[in-house]
Amino acid sequence: MTAGGAGAGAGPRAVGGALPDRAWWVALAGLPGMGPARLRALREALAPEEAWRVVASGRAHLVPAVAAASGGRAGEVAARWARAAADLDVGERWRAHAHLGVSLLGEPGHPARVADDPEPPVVLFSDGDRGALAGPTVAVVGTRRCTRAGAELAVELGLACARAGVRVVSGLAVGIDAAAHRGALAAGEGAAPPVAVVGTGLDVVYPARSRSLWEAVAASGVVLSEHPLGTGPARWRFPARNRLVAALADAVVVVESPRTGGSMYTVDEALRRDRPVLAVPGPVRSAASSGTNWLLSQGAAVATGPEDVLAALGVAPEPTAGGPVLDPRPPPTGDGRRVLRALGWAPAGLDTLARRTGLGLGPLAVALDRLESDGWVHRDAGQIERRGRP
Amino acid sequence: MLATVPSATILGVEGRPVTVEVHVGQGLPSFTVVGLPDASCREARDRARAAVLCSGLTWPTRKVTVNLAPSSERKIGSGLDLAIAVAVLAATDQVPAEAVADLACIGELGLDGAVRPVAGTVALVDAVPGSTVVVAAPSAAEARLVGRHRVRAVAHLSELVLALRGEEPWPDPPAPAPPPPEPPPPDLADVRGQPAARQALEIAAAGAHHLLLVGSPGAGKTMLARRLPGLLPPLAPSEALAVTRIHSAAGVPVPGGGVVVRPPFRAPHHSSTTVSLVGGGTAALRPGELSLATGGVLFLDELGEFGPSVVDALRQPLEEGVVRVARARAAVTLPARFLLVAATNPCPCGEATEAGACRCSDAARARYRRRLSGPVLDRFDLRVEVHRPEPAALLATAGGQPSAVVAERVAAARRVAAGRGVRANAEIPADRLDQAAPLAGGATRMLEAALRQGRLTARGLARVRRVARTIADLDGAPPDSALGAEPVALAMTLRADVSSALEAVA
Repeated sequence: MTAGGAGAGAGPRAVGGALPDRAWWVALAGLPGMGPARLRALREALAPEEAWRVVASGRAHLVPAVAAASGGRAGEVAARWARAAADLDVGERWRAHAHLGVSLLGEPGHPARVADDPEPPVVLFSDGDRGALAGPTVAVVGTRRCTRAGAELAVELGLACARAGVRVVSGLAVGIDAAAHRGALAAGEGAAPPVAVVGTGLDVVYPARSRSLWEAVAASGVVLSEHPLGTGPARWRFPARNRLVAALADAVVVVESPRTGGSMYTVDEALRRDRPVLAVPGPVRSAASSGTNWLLSQGAAVATGPEDVLAALGVAPEPTAGGPVLDPRPPPTGDGRRVLRALGWAPAGLDTLARRTGLGLGPLAVALDRLESDGWVHRDAGQIERRGRP
Repeated sequence: MLATVPSATILGVEGRPVTVEVHVGQGLPSFTVVGLPDASCREARDRARAAVLCSGLTWPTRKVTVNLAPSSERKIGSGLDLAIAVAVLAATDQVPAEAVADLACIGELGLDGAVRPVAGTVALVDAVPGSTVVVAAPSAAEARLVGRHRVRAVAHLSELVLALRGEEPWPDPPAPAPPPPEPPPPDLADVRGQPAARQALEIAAAGAHHLLLVGSPGAGKTMLARRLPGLLPPLAPSEALAVTRIHSAAGVPVPGGGVVVRPPFRAPHHSSTTVSLVGGGTAALRPGELSLATGGVLFLDELGEFGPSVVDALRQPLEEGVVRVARARAAVTLPARFLLVAATNPCPCGEATEAGACRCSDAARARYRRRLSGPVLDRFDLRVEVHRPEPAALLATAGGQPSAVVAERVAAARRVAAGRGVRANAEIPADRLDQAAPLAGGATRMLEAALRQGRLTARGLARVRRVARTIADLDGAPPDSALGAEPVALAMTLRADVSSALEAVA
């Protein structure tokens, strides 16, 4: 049974009365080009079933709020919605979401942080335990193309925050996002569960190589989305996702980011919501740290490690048992020590190291091989980076 | 009534002997060419006839049949024109039959009787039997390279006829003015800084190790690659003849003296087709860029922009040193033993060598990566990331070592390699590595650790040993000395796993 007769205003007749309000909003949220703002406009103007009937009949652009949210192309958008709605069975679509958590704006069960948000999602889907959302939360975000040092720090932040009972929320992108979640997951039993917000439907894993991480987060924490199943990745959905990351967090930490990019969007959203923003300082020549350094110059708080982040949240760090962990790596000697000192914490090429140390390429290669073998440095293509941990 | 003149046609880089038989007999005046001539060969009919008439000779008003033997092989090109004309003249007694006995002719005719050079003179002359060969004047130098024949150079059909009749001496056209000497290859002294890339270049030249340069635009990849030919030793005489033969067959102008002595440097554009690189294309199966680079350097700038099928076509020649081109009518083996130097950006925008600086979409990076990854990437012994030189190095007044100094070390290393029975260390067979490149204790432990930690593969091991041997040879180590830690570590360092430059750190 389809809603083919919707044009006549009939809707899905047989089950129409039996469907909960949420079902209509789930169906509406999945229409092409239906962003959070347009959905909110519909929600504020109309009752659920009525909204569906108006959209299915192609008259959505006649609702003033929707027209305002759609700009000059409201008629075109309304026609597309009507075409998509004609092929949609609202009841079937609703039943497909039965295994997920679905909450509706204005109903109990919608997470408090997003319900009170200036741009709240109308529907929110969740895979995992929604209990993970209560408690102090920090967003750890950054560029997908991070340095290894940046990724290592993100792991460290994720781990320490989770251990201290702070939920780590991030976007499940590759790079810093993924590293932060890996750290949070590594905290293990009893630590705060990880929270992810994605910009696709909960059945569309993007990027595909994040699947195992995605499943691990859903298993021990929760993955959230404001898009129904089957929604693929689209450029405009990621900034919208970042607004939810900012909304869910008590503070936002940017580990590495260029001057423009998704992380900067998260920062803007956090500032609009009066959430504190912390940034990790980086080498002045590193493109991956140009954004964070700029944030610091603009007055963001400095995050040099988990202590700074926890202090900003007013959370006491979990005391580590037995003092500092012993580094199992054999201490570098001779040329190795020289090379490590010349390397510092910014990635460098072979030429740069040769110039800084004054070593010939042969002895330098021997020293690097030893350092890499012992876990002090990591070589990626021609770039050599110091590793913080083995 | 019947005359035969030997000549030759070309397939790939090999000449094939052809006997031109002409019969002039009773019948309606006609002129037919049989024996699988191709289009340009069939046109010989009209050229030969016009040339004979314009030279003040007579064309028989009888039935003229030309047979190109062996008739099973396809005859290609215009090089048989002269032989056809001479055979017709001999068959009609316009030149004495005994004069053309044992005389091979190679050349194209103009309608006015001018004799013009044809591509592949070296191979063609090498293919013809007999003791005397007639060629166009500009081809004389190439024809003499073969060294088996008395070479007669003529500029015009009438000159040839007068000489054959004994009325005039054989013309002795002055050797064409030697072309201006080739500009010397660019010098390595111009390169400032970049010690790692310079070292890789020297090792590549000494050991004939294929080299991949990865770096941002403006880092100097092309500048470095263009300096490689200046480091290579000049071609040995036997090699020079083989290379000249290829260049002659492809119709590429051969430098002064008629012999290619400098290692060639071929840099096809990334829009090149597979056929233009591999060869084939025309019925003559003309050698492509891979063959033209034989004995020298094939430089593929912007490797990531070459078509995937073009890059894949490199695999077999890199492995075997020859290209086998087969077409429905013929199959040839073209030499293709070159030093491959490729340069590429790490991603389409070129900035991915630095974390966070790349502006490409993930899809664009993945596409680039697919093109650069896998089997072809594996065949580079040296993979070096090139960075923009530091300002201090650019402004330094002292340049690097000049090419001449480096070339001397390279030549010495090549002599050491020759002592092992190979042209260069890259050609040391795997089963002789233990003998040619034994490992000292420190080097063995280092390689063991690298293999255990997955930093080195079994295939990579053999390549690292060959490169390490070259490094040791360049350092002046005794030819059979065990390889220490230093050359082995440097060989591994200069074989960076560049494929990961394209992968975001996850």
